Amino acid sequence: MNARNTNDDAGQPDGCPPAARATTPAASSTTPAASAATPAASSTTPARPSLRFLWLSLAVLGASLTVFGTAMAAQDAGGTAAAQATVALSKSIGIWCAALMTIGILTFLYKDNPFYKVCESILIGVSAAYWMVNGFWSTLVPNLFGKLMPSVVREYAIPSLPVSDTPGFDMALAFVPLALGLMLLWRLAPKGGWISVWPLAFIIGTTAGIRLVASIEADLLAQASATIRPLVVMKESVLAPAAGGGSAATAEMAATAVRTVDFWGTVGAVTGVVGVLSVLSYFFFSLEHKGAVGKSARLGVWFLMITFGSAFGLTVMGRITLLAQRLEFLFKDWLGIG
Amino acid sequence: MNTNTHDRQGGGGGGSFLSRLGGLDRRWIFLAMGLSIAVPILLKLRFPEVPGPMARATFDAIESIPEGSRVLLAFDYDPASAGELQPMANAMVHHCAARGHRIVFMALWPLGKQMADATIKDVLLEFHPQYAYGTDYVQLGYKAGNEAVVKLMATDIPQQYSTDAAGAALASLPLVADVKSTTDFKLVASISAGYPGAKEWVQYANSANPEAFKLVSGSTGVQVSQLLPYYPAQMEGLLVAVKGAAEYEMLVTAAYPSADKPDLLAERLGQGRVRMGPQLVAHLLMIGLIILGNIAMVAGRSRGGAR
Repeated sequence: MNARNTNDDAGQPDGCPPAARATTPAASSTTPAASAATPAASSTTPARPSLRFLWLSLAVLGASLTVFGTAMAAQDAGGTAAAQATVALSKSIGIWCAALMTIGILTFLYKDNPFYKVCESILIGVSAAYWMVNGFWSTLVPNLFGKLMPSVVREYAIPSLPVSDTPGFDMALAFVPLALGLMLLWRLAPKGGWISVWPLAFIIGTTAGIRLVASIEADLLAQASATIRPLVVMKESVLAPAAGGGSAATAEMAATAVRTVDFWGTVGAVTGVVGVLSVLSYFFFSLEHKGAVGKSARLGVWFLMITFGSAFGLTVMGRITLLAQRLEFLFKDWLGIG
Repeated sequence: MNTNTHDRQGGGGGGSFLSRLGGLDRRWIFLAMGLSIAVPILLKLRFPEVPGPMARATFDAIESIPEGSRVLLAFDYDPASAGELQPMANAMVHHCAARGHRIVFMALWPLGKQMADATIKDVLLEFHPQYAYGTDYVQLGYKAGNEAVVKLMATDIPQQYSTDAAGAALASLPLVADVKSTTDFKLVASISAGYPGAKEWVQYANSANPEAFKLVSGSTGVQVSQLLPYYPAQMEGLLVAVKGAAEYEMLVTAAYPSADKPDLLAERLGQGRVRMGPQLVAHLLMIGLIILGNIAMVAGRSRGGAR
């Protein structure tokens, strides 16, 4: 966006927002001097659109709250029960917050602005706090404190904490992750930062061990096995069952079943095998990519490009769906359209 | 978006149009994209979907297990991916319930439990009110630990989940009282938005017991490239993004319509198809823009070369 704005300020009319366009002549009139005395001038110039966006954001917020307040007052005047009004209020606040946040984030498409910054900061802050709280309650409390002091956790935090058959052993074992966790936090201390390397080594070692076996089984052996398959795919061609069915008809149908070549299945199988071999040859650097190896590697590049294109297309589809869902929310849940 | 100065110096007619196109502010493209998605939503554009082989394979996998089988549905996503994954989750729960399968819900993502709760409320109990908690379905909830959760479930579920999400002991719930591992399920389905999700179910559950249960998955478009190699050898069915959801919805609603609430079923199990309308228009716009952009680029180069 900054590059875009720079171009706009340089006099490109198409992309120039009205606010920025209004300031352009003044800026251009002072250009030679301003370019010499730059820091102060350049720091004050962009402040105008920012302030305008701030006022615009506040106006949108104010208008939204006014509409919201009016709607709620109308609802209360409608004679709804107090309990129902409370539930509706809670839901309405949630919908309005979500709608304003959605619009706030989408305003970035026009230009970076304070409304967007506020929404972005709220998102980051809420996410960080959420993951911290989630980690505390879903990992530390049941898996560490629940082992070290189960009765306390059961009394004040998780009443359904399972009762262990070997509480003493569990408690002794829980001191291992406790010690490793404290060692990991040691890197915050001014001295002895090397202590945190040991739990890191433990984490890396165990993770690698767990993932190595799974990768070899699921991604290497099973995938290689799935690639080794008949290049000519056959399919069973059967006649449609006779009306009324019955065992005689079934027997007759089985007798007339024929095996024919599945053309598209065969194309798929051949393409799969050729694709795997050619892409592997592209990543085979022990031989110079010349002659047959070079041609195979070039074919592999084509397969890779098609794969990347496919992945890009799927990503675009996902992003469009996300926008569609947000617009559905704005239209249906917020504005009540459709 | 770097505007070529020589583009703006182009002549009239087609050259002028291409010059302007080359310098088009990208915000016009954002606006066009927004309209291409908003208008089909407002007009409720729907297009018929032809179920593809992967959606059909997912449907067949659930059909092929005996009625009343115990199935495990893992909601490995959160609201950020609900646009793509909630439609397929809704359809899958309705499909399983219509077949009489007994469903165990769980989640590898913290908010997956809430997504499953929403599906239980909006689909399972709405269209299958006879389903009783504990005997027909159980909500195990979320467990932290990523792939370690899957790995432990492949060998010892009671150790991983000693209670359900509400704190009731598994032994007190008939549906899961005798469950030992994932091999006690006929089918495992992961509605997955990323890590941890379908890939981990293949690597740690399916690899440990390849023949014990059928594994199917629904995935976001971003992640599905990583899962395609697993289909069909290690994963019997795969729903690819909202397109797969729409196709699967077609199959499920055609096979298992609702006699008493057809409109509600069409709404709850029609979200994928509703979102395919904007997909079509937005993709046409993108294709058009890519073609126009390339024409403008080639025209700009040729003019630059001529000079």
